[in-house]
Amino acid sequence: MEFKFTPGNQAKINDTLKKYPTKKAAVMSVLFLGQEQNGWISKEVMKEIASVLEITEEEVFGVVTFYTMFYEKPMGKNHLQVCTNVSCMLRGGYEIFIQVKEKLGIDNMEVTEDKNFSLEEVECMGSCGTAPMIAVNEDYYENLNADKVNEIIESLRQKN
Amino acid sequence: MEKIVLPDIKDLHKIEVYKANDGYTAINKALSQSPDDLIEQVKKSGLRGRGGAAFLAGLKWSFMPKTNDKPKYLCVNGDESEPGSFKDRQIFELNPHQLIEGTLITCYAIGAKTAYVYIRGEYHKWIKLFQDALDDAYEAGFVGEKMKETFNTDFACEIYIHKGAGAYICGEETSLMNSIEGQRGYPRVKPPFPAQNGLWGCPTTINNVETIANVPKIINKGWEWFSKIGEPKHPGTILFGISGHVNNPGVYELPSGTLLTDIIYKYAGGIPGDKKILCVIPGGSSMPPLRGDGIEGVKMDAESLKAAGSSIGTGGIIVMDEDTDLVKVLARIAKFYYHESCGQCTPCREGTSWLVRLLDRIGQGNGSSHDLDMLIDVASNIEGNTICALGEAAAWPVRFMVSRFRDYFEKRVKKEIVLPVKNKVHSMRDTAFPLDSP
Amino acid sequence: MSTFTLNDEEIEFKPGQTIIEAAKDNGTTIPHFCWHPKLSISGNCRVCLVELENIPKLVIACSTQATEGMVVYSESEKTLEARNAVMEFLLINHPLDCPICDEAGECKLQDYAYKHSIGESRYVEEKTHKDKRVQLGPRVMFDGDRCISCSLCIRFCDEIVGEPELTFIKRGNGVTISTFPGKQMENKYSLNTVDICPVGALTNTDFRFKTRVWDLSSNPSICTGCSRGCNIDVWVINNEIKRLTPSFNKEVNSYWMCDDGRLNTFKHVNAKDRVDGAHLRKDGQLIKVSWDEAFANASSELKNITNKEIAFIGSAFSTCEDNYLFTKFAKDVIGCKNIDFIRHTNPDFGDELLRQNDLTPNTMGAELTGVSPKQGGLNLDGIVQGIKSGKIKGLFIMEDDLLEAYPELEKSLPSLELLIVLSSNFNKTTAFADFVFPAATFAEKNGTFINFNGRVQRIKPAVETTDLDRSLDGMAMSRLDKFGTSFDRWAIGNKHDARASWKIISGLSVLFDKKLKYKMSENVFDDMSKSIDAFKGLDYDIIGKKGVLLKDKLNEVTQTV
Repeated sequence: MEFKFTPGNQAKINDTLKKYPTKKAAVMSVLFLGQEQNGWISKEVMKEIASVLEITEEEVFGVVTFYTMFYEKPMGKNHLQVCTNVSCMLRGGYEIFIQVKEKLGIDNMEVTEDKNFSLEEVECMGSCGTAPMIAVNEDYYENLNADKVNEIIESLRQKN
Repeated sequence: MEKIVLPDIKDLHKIEVYKANDGYTAINKALSQSPDDLIEQVKKSGLRGRGGAAFLAGLKWSFMPKTNDKPKYLCVNGDESEPGSFKDRQIFELNPHQLIEGTLITCYAIGAKTAYVYIRGEYHKWIKLFQDALDDAYEAGFVGEKMKETFNTDFACEIYIHKGAGAYICGEETSLMNSIEGQRGYPRVKPPFPAQNGLWGCPTTINNVETIANVPKIINKGWEWFSKIGEPKHPGTILFGISGHVNNPGVYELPSGTLLTDIIYKYAGGIPGDKKILCVIPGGSSMPPLRGDGIEGVKMDAESLKAAGSSIGTGGIIVMDEDTDLVKVLARIAKFYYHESCGQCTPCREGTSWLVRLLDRIGQGNGSSHDLDMLIDVASNIEGNTICALGEAAAWPVRFMVSRFRDYFEKRVKKEIVLPVKNKVHSMRDTAFPLDSP
Repeated sequence: MSTFTLNDEEIEFKPGQTIIEAAKDNGTTIPHFCWHPKLSISGNCRVCLVELENIPKLVIACSTQATEGMVVYSESEKTLEARNAVMEFLLINHPLDCPICDEAGECKLQDYAYKHSIGESRYVEEKTHKDKRVQLGPRVMFDGDRCISCSLCIRFCDEIVGEPELTFIKRGNGVTISTFPGKQMENKYSLNTVDICPVGALTNTDFRFKTRVWDLSSNPSICTGCSRGCNIDVWVINNEIKRLTPSFNKEVNSYWMCDDGRLNTFKHVNAKDRVDGAHLRKDGQLIKVSWDEAFANASSELKNITNKEIAFIGSAFSTCEDNYLFTKFAKDVIGCKNIDFIRHTNPDFGDELLRQNDLTPNTMGAELTGVSPKQGGLNLDGIVQGIKSGKIKGLFIMEDDLLEAYPELEKSLPSLELLIVLSSNFNKTTAFADFVFPAATFAEKNGTFINFNGRVQRIKPAVETTDLDRSLDGMAMSRLDKFGTSFDRWAIGNKHDARASWKIISGLSVLFDKKLKYKMSENVFDDMSKSIDAFKGLDYDIIGKKGVLLKDKLNEVTQTV
């Protein structure tokens, strides 16, 4: 499947390029745009980015696989990121992770059959003071307990 | 006590409110002085970096060459990924303009015309909040080319946000620069140091968000005022983030040198269920943990904590009560550094995997006294032998936790400790924590 | 000259040199994996950590610049402790598959494990597993488990070849090397990554599982793939070449050679179509006869053709010695002026790194030794026309396949009265020959080649023929060559009955009035250096191991400098 940036995203890329003395420096921003448009970072997305930024495909590939926020496969419409790092763990992070796992019937980095949910155990998200937490896509849900987690998942289900 | 970075002023994130509270006057004042004067003032103020190493900010600035054959850069480090640290997000949210103003002053002092504020990618919300503030500042003519007119000066400076994408290591300053350059976040071999050879080979200074946010007040109120707050060798206020088993976790801006027990009991409301403290990590998960029975009288500043056998780090305090499974905690911390090792150099790449596997085995009840010695040995073999400080960050918690809690670990491997709540050691305790709707 | 102290000894260094470089120049190798003198510094392996006086933290010798008066300890207790620690870390996740690993025997990790590690493993946990048997490119296989992430291969492709086909992917303990999905490492120098890989992570698909390296002998030689003349080692077991590897010559090929040269220039030595013994045609069939019979018949037939009706085609694949005697034989013994050689070029072969468009190793040697038409004689075109028209009735070809180069001669070759070919392998031209003399290959003789910029370099035998003797001819012997008994099947190598072309010509000349008698190729060269200006003052000793520029070429070079 060929991938091309939409004119809107192309304009955003041009804006990003103004920030840096090299095109290469824009690779992370442009990868986020590619991921937003395509849903995940496919081989084609990497190729297009390499060509847009005039860098090698290998460079893009190396960057994609280094950072955890770039996904090399499609994730769910609601990507649930549960922090289990120490501060969250001390306040029930693992319980929430297990709860979500059981409720959705998926394991770490898996996607539900209806593609509505995916689950990821993440490292510290900077919510230690409001632990435990889940991030759903870009939004943080903090100070959680079991009931709250159920509420969140149910409301996301209903939104679908 | 006056708060410097997060004062209790309603809607301070709004540019009008910030302006009404002396906002953007420090930059005006700074521009009327020479860069060297500014560096001197910050040096004298005793401001030390808030990102972990507590290095003198003014001294760091003075390493920048005075020549102008190459562009110079400032990187503001908001990668904030150390477990237990969650202070910078408060600055982005509550007082972004002070950070912007501090960035402008720092750029002027070191001769940089471009600053990149590196914000961890997961902070979508705070990136947006900070970008909004930045847009307002541009609009108002405080940043960019318009500065020249606004402040009647030759100096202009651009500030850009660089969004991270999930890598703790990018908080390491040379790794951060590689990340901005669009590369894998590998730390660089030093020397050369960033002030000589930084972003794109140009002189570069990297400062933590909180460090920079202190600068406008130092300029406005004078270095003497600042140097008298808190402990003389590590003056100012510190944003202490406290998390774990306390009743009121959160960020508290307090003078350096505040007693650790005061932060825990006075500000954070003590321990749920009035349990005893087993362990406290005072500066983010990479810093040496302290025994709960040894924190009486420990003050929270770089020198005092050094004397107490730990380090101020990012000021992220993690409190663990007496029911905590320390083996599991240590295994989780080790797993973090294993996960975040960039994999570039041998001791860290291989050593972190060894530590995790050893600790997992001990956690499964298959460990021995000999394995505890091995943990200390492996950790010591990583320390000092790596390209960057992640080696120490991975080694310290293991080495110090095992040696300081040797009695506890011995009992665990001999199965003499019965964990309080079976399989639910880290449950959301019955003493419910306060819950706010997200 | 500035100096610093290394292990209590004062050593000199050049400004800008790192500790590891200065130590190397002074004969001390500080252990290292990721450092290579021709590649950028990555500092990732940490094996070269050394202690500096008055500095608490150890520093890496590969990136730390030497400074006047600094005091370095590369063998102190602290250094050894760190080195042992790093070695242990490198080994914990490394598979214990040395018994089946091709690198064993020339593996830096293995060597260092003996030299610099404590010798036992304390590691009892599960090892990390990565991808194995990844075909990284058409010629290179990758084993992720064995990789120590030194990045030499990545840097080589990027910095030397200029084709960054490899990258690190993932991070932490999961780091591994990869090409872009769907792409392969195809650059023309890809096999050098196998040479510089300090472990068995990268292996040569042409060599994998062929033999244990400690059973191989190696002899220095020159690659015959093009006129660059890359310095190589020829690796032999049971008298068969198993591989070629580049050897360092900073004036010629640095540490590298191209994949074409490495893979496509030695297979004919072991091939089934080798000419084994002298052959002459009887009743339409080439049959093997004794050398004496072949010489006697060939000389008498040569005498039956006038010197105007015969032509001589020499070869840029042959040595200077071969071409020198060839010309002498044509000119002085036969009195023939129709002398030339075939030029083999490919405009698409050359590049800016090593490869040259001239696909032969010794064009300049052939030219300088006089393989060209003498006054009024025919050049190659003239000779080809002469064959077609029937004007040329006799043809003497040394080490080339005329019919391959001129397929249009297929109909004319059979009508020649006499076709003598000196060749290592049967080919299209030998199919029509009246006499085929078995020429030794580059791997079976002594001699010299002159590369494209005028450097004279020695080749030495690595493979025995019936005409050569391992010890007498100074060839290295493999373990099996030394210790294999006649009962060991593997110790029985096949020796071809072949001789260096100069020696064949010399043998033939004995049956003429003017005799070209030489004992060894060295004697031919000495004669050459007396009679040809370009070679004046040179001998095999002076040429030495790294070769020398011809005098007039040297002048050219110094003048341009």
